[in-house]
Amino acid sequence: MFRLRLAPLLAAIVLAVGFVSLRIVYRVVFGGVGAGTGPVLLELPRLRLDGPFSHISLLGPITLVGLGNAALSALPVAAIIVFFGLLNAVINVQSLFARGAGRGPLRAISRSLVIAWATFPALLESVRRVRVARSLRGERSIASLLVPIFEQTIERALALAASMETRGFAATRFATGVCEAPVVLRDVGLNFGAVPDKTSWHLDALNVTLKPGTLTVIVGATGSGKTSLLHSMSGLFQHFYDGTQNGRIDIVGADRASTPPRDTAGFVGLVAQNVRLGFTAETVHDEIGFALAVRNVTPSIVHARILEVAARLKIEHLVDRPIERLSAGEASLVAIAAALVNHPILLLVDEPLADLDTVARNRVCAVLGQLAHEADVCVVIAEHNTKEFASIADAWLQIRGSRLHQLPADSPADSWGSALPSSGSGPGIATAAQGAIRDISAVPAVPLASIRLLSVRHKTNLVVNDVSVEVQAGELVALRGSNGAGKTSLLRAIALPTSADTVIVAGQDVRSLKRRTRRQTVALVPENFDDLLFAITVAEECRRADRTLREPNFRRALPAATDTERSTAALFAHLLGFNAPTDAAPLLQRHPRDLSAGERLCLVMAIQLAARPALLLVDEPTRGLDQVARALVSAALLTATGAASAVIFATHDDDFAQDLATRNLHMQAGRLAAPIEVLS
Amino acid sequence: MTNESTTTRANATAAGNVSDDDVVGTFADEAPDAQSAPDAGIAFSDRPRERADQARPHRSIRWTKWILGAGSLLAVSAFAWPFFVGAVPADAQVAVPIVAFALIPALIVALALTLDREMYTAQTVALLGVLSAVGAAVRIAGAGAGGVEAVFVLLILAGRVYGARFGFLLGLLTIAVSSALWGGFGPWTPFQMFACGWVAAGAGLLPRWQNAARRESSGQRMRANLEIALLAAYGVVASYLFGLIMNLWFWPFVVGSGTGISYEATADPGQNLASFALYSLVTSTLTWDTVRAITTVVGIASVGPAVLAALRRTKISLRS
Repeated sequence: MFRLRLAPLLAAIVLAVGFVSLRIVYRVVFGGVGAGTGPVLLELPRLRLDGPFSHISLLGPITLVGLGNAALSALPVAAIIVFFGLLNAVINVQSLFARGAGRGPLRAISRSLVIAWATFPALLESVRRVRVARSLRGERSIASLLVPIFEQTIERALALAASMETRGFAATRFATGVCEAPVVLRDVGLNFGAVPDKTSWHLDALNVTLKPGTLTVIVGATGSGKTSLLHSMSGLFQHFYDGTQNGRIDIVGADRASTPPRDTAGFVGLVAQNVRLGFTAETVHDEIGFALAVRNVTPSIVHARILEVAARLKIEHLVDRPIERLSAGEASLVAIAAALVNHPILLLVDEPLADLDTVARNRVCAVLGQLAHEADVCVVIAEHNTKEFASIADAWLQIRGSRLHQLPADSPADSWGSALPSSGSGPGIATAAQGAIRDISAVPAVPLASIRLLSVRHKTNLVVNDVSVEVQAGELVALRGSNGAGKTSLLRAIALPTSADTVIVAGQDVRSLKRRTRRQTVALVPENFDDLLFAITVAEECRRADRTLREPNFRRALPAATDTERSTAALFAHLLGFNAPTDAAPLLQRHPRDLSAGERLCLVMAIQLAARPALLLVDEPTRGLDQVARALVSAALLTATGAASAVIFATHDDDFAQDLATRNLHMQAGRLAAPIEVLS
Repeated sequence: MTNESTTTRANATAAGNVSDDDVVGTFADEAPDAQSAPDAGIAFSDRPRERADQARPHRSIRWTKWILGAGSLLAVSAFAWPFFVGAVPADAQVAVPIVAFALIPALIVALALTLDREMYTAQTVALLGVLSAVGAAVRIAGAGAGGVEAVFVLLILAGRVYGARFGFLLGLLTIAVSSALWGGFGPWTPFQMFACGWVAAGAGLLPRWQNAARRESSGQRMRANLEIALLAAYGVVASYLFGLIMNLWFWPFVVGSGTGISYEATADPGQNLASFALYSLVTSTLTWDTVRAITTVVGIASVGPAVLAALRRTKISLRS
């Protein structure tokens, strides 16, 4: 709790000096420095006020003794200020707060304070990200900065609350678990809203029994309800997201409808989708021990259990690490460890592989398989990256329509590939529209965009190393490569170049362009495309995008470009594949964040295409999307290639790139892997 | 963020009555909360046991209300200590500022203890934590940008949506976090805490209106605009009152004795009031408070609708 930090002391000294000077100023202005017998320094006229202020007079003579007295009289208070500065410099208030967290009469408030501390790194990161997003959109309003940051903050609060709830925060009683039947669903129906509505999302007739020591994978399209089904077992669905459950769900012997997640924390572990959002502590040690600390377990026992779990997952070396210095794979393992610290009978895992590279994926899969088959835990995973689990899964459950089906365990991939209704539509659209693009590319021209010796340096690392490439009009280029190859940095540097003559688009040096004209040459849809959205309806979002165009530069007008059809709203409808802009009207009245991920991506593409950029860049358009949403996005990318002149998209999804791209660029360690020939 | 969590959240919002004014009342004293909402089939409440026993939580809520009211009243009188000195016997006058300075932190602790129990749910604690981090960041960033105090925007909007008690605690914690961050704890901190807490709590106590014409979209838009206007007007009032009350307790120390606007324990209240008015006018009302009022109005007008929408998409329930 003690440490030395000089900044508070310096600040206090500055404050104290300011305080003394302020007192002298007040005394000079309000006639208080004329006292004493010393020589008069300055003879100012004395002004008397009237009315209720008749007892006050301004200015008056200034004597040296008067000034000295004024300064002296301020010294006691100044000394108090400096004293507290000194206290602040040596006492670490933060650690005092951390002590109260989880116990004592101020446990809620002190836990809030710990969360506030843990939020700061994320907040700074979010400010950085949104500032980039804002300059990509060409916006300068306060709202475009603050609203996305605020949305991210609220999202963090929700994830945090869910993670605390499932780890037993504020539990009042602990239900006792029955090991023999971890999960029993009998005639269960799930929906949102008290009156079941056949058109909105719902699941019916769920009958599932899961045994200990098994690993079950739930698969299904995005939005089919994998996460909701998983959370009907964790209890978050019923008690946190206001979902309605019919039928009976017994989780380790407890009736889920009446037992909130916090009361089953002792035997149900949950690893949420984006584990980082749910971290409640500042160090890995405290994060793993959270579930025990909130139960008031003695610190020494907590410590022993943390080390035990860490040893089991082979992450002992991470225990003392600050939580923000974890890689994606390490963060997943820490979250699993935090869910295991109570020795759960049932472990629920939501999309554990989404952001991981191959090495980390294998590690996480091995750990989950071990838990099920060696430690006898009942493991349930919702995931659409299914290949990795092929060797360890005992059962596959697929959500199709509103029903749950069991898939044969031996060759799961075949049986559901054909089951998805629109999985075939993607390539179909692709081939149809590719013909149109080839027509454009048939016209020979100077390269639309040339990137010359572009480099990006992050601190000491050269993340993009002398990349040179030319893009012709009509091309749909896939920029491929593994995580960390520098794809994102390259795209950002093309959209917002920092040195002159590195990016030339449509004959103009992008670096030298102003905000508005830059958007007519090149626009980027970043990976976190939600950061660009800040209005409360889709319609308003589109209107704002129309407004940022002072002087529309329609070199390549859309077919039949009437005034209304040129608008961002019309383009949004067009990207979604609607024939007439009016078909998208119901979507326009919704909150942008209520759209599905694929629809949101189309909205951001429409916004970024509003200025009709010659070159559109899209970073990882398929991340976290299933087949249906991917078909939507690939069609939208083709449409976008018609609206802009060329599109470059970064992806590590090989199949997606294969179907769509007219050319592939491979990136590796900051360089384009193959030597780039200028295509004739 | 990946799509499925959004879907869940969006569905939850569509199903619950989150985007309406009635949720807003969750923390207000007599407002109905999730516990009394009629629902079919499934209990929305997490606590059937306590739900059955309606009398006990109600009584505890009443108590909280009285404790908060009385505590705030005591705190106001401690802020206004310069005007009470004349009323006590001459021997005790020296003790008045000391009592005031001891009373304020004690009241902070007492009210925090009172509120802590009912804030002890995962959602409330998580929201309180992240929002006070945002508030502290805004406060510190504002100090860097020439004393532009934008933190009121957050306090007022959050107080409006989550009610007076949550708002009061948010004000407290925002000051605590920002003070700890730049190392500015001192005798002044409890006073700042109270003043900020009141700003947010006041926003939670502003009048609400029934959603009679909820389906009609023009009426809805008008009501939304009206709400923003109400909050902005409250922001102006709060900015000036905040300046006044923060000047009040510190004024005798800043000016010291021997000037025209000095505080004099023996003088009649009218003269002290006039001195204080002039001091406050030149110190903050014309400068800091006006800047703060403008920032607050601009902030509420530009980010208010979106922030209110974001906050209302997230429902919190009070532990009773």
